[in-house]
Amino acid sequence: MTHHRDIGADPPDEYVEAEIHRLLAEDPAVAEQGITVVRRERALVLYGEVESPHRREEILRRVSERFPDVPITSDIGVIRAQAPTEIEQLP
Amino acid sequence: MVIRIAAVGDVHLDEDVVGRFRPALEELPECADVLLLAGDLTRHGTEAEARCVAEEFGGLAVPVVTVLGNHDHQCDQVPQVVKVLQDAGITVLEGNGVVLDCAGGRLGIAGVKGFGGGFAGRCASDFGEPEMKAFVRTTTDSADRLGAALRSLDCDMLVALTHYSPVPDTLAGEPLEIYPFLGSYQLGQAIDSAPTALALHGHAHAGTERGTTPGGVRVRNVAHPVIKQAYSVFHVGDQLDTDQVSPIGQSGIQRSWS
Repeated sequence: MTHHRDIGADPPDEYVEAEIHRLLAEDPAVAEQGITVVRRERALVLYGEVESPHRREEILRRVSERFPDVPITSDIGVIRAQAPTEIEQLP
Repeated sequence: MVIRIAAVGDVHLDEDVVGRFRPALEELPECADVLLLAGDLTRHGTEAEARCVAEEFGGLAVPVVTVLGNHDHQCDQVPQVVKVLQDAGITVLEGNGVVLDCAGGRLGIAGVKGFGGGFAGRCASDFGEPEMKAFVRTTTDSADRLGAALRSLDCDMLVALTHYSPVPDTLAGEPLEIYPFLGSYQLGQAIDSAPTALALHGHAHAGTERGTTPGGVRVRNVAHPVIKQAYSVFHVGDQLDTDQVSPIGQSGIQRSWS
């Protein structure tokens, strides 16, 4: 017997992933296009790099707010902004 | 003749970032003749965010030249953004160029934001729905203006500055599916239509640093998440000795990062 998905059941993970991806770009409080959403066995993991610790916290807060039942973990870094130590020579 | 070019793109400034780049920027006069910004200076392209850019990148001891990026267009405040930047002494290019007198010669910089469309053999075509034609024509128009600006400059060394990428090489690391949103081959074609020495772009945060156009022009992706430092420095010229490839002095600011 074929089992049909109940109407109103949780959306498939792929749609959640797509929605998070768009949320990150389109939410004015986030506006990040460089964050990758990866599905793992136990959670969705957010990867990428942002310009400040505040932005990293904001991303997690907004995603958790929008998807309170989806376990989310984050591995987002803050991009270093030190002066370079080497040049590139282009003859 | 050697001209020293510092460059970074995609700094996405807002109040929370002001001050992070400044210590490194203060070191610029020791290592560069000019600073080029490859667009996406702001998060949403608001006048308030542009003031953050002006505070961070204005009043430097080297000339600053920029193009805008897609983020700088988000809130439809481009004229206000451009004015704030220009008032801070930053030259904003869009389909035009500027020539700077540097110690090593006259540096010509032509810039456009550019647009998507994809790369040879796998690109969008000027065909079909009006929306599709408008998309492709935006790219073509941008590339045409870049080519014309490059060919118009009277200088000793020519640099192309864009936000979108002119080649797929520097996108390596990005998903293949989004390449058409990251750049277009027409920009590369424009760069190859002039004796360009170096092409700099941003936009592709997960891309890689180095590439070349089909015509052999060196391309560098200077998006901040790619270079992972305040800016990269390129010494461009034809009389470089190997011993010139050396550290540029102190090892940068000492700070911890998370």
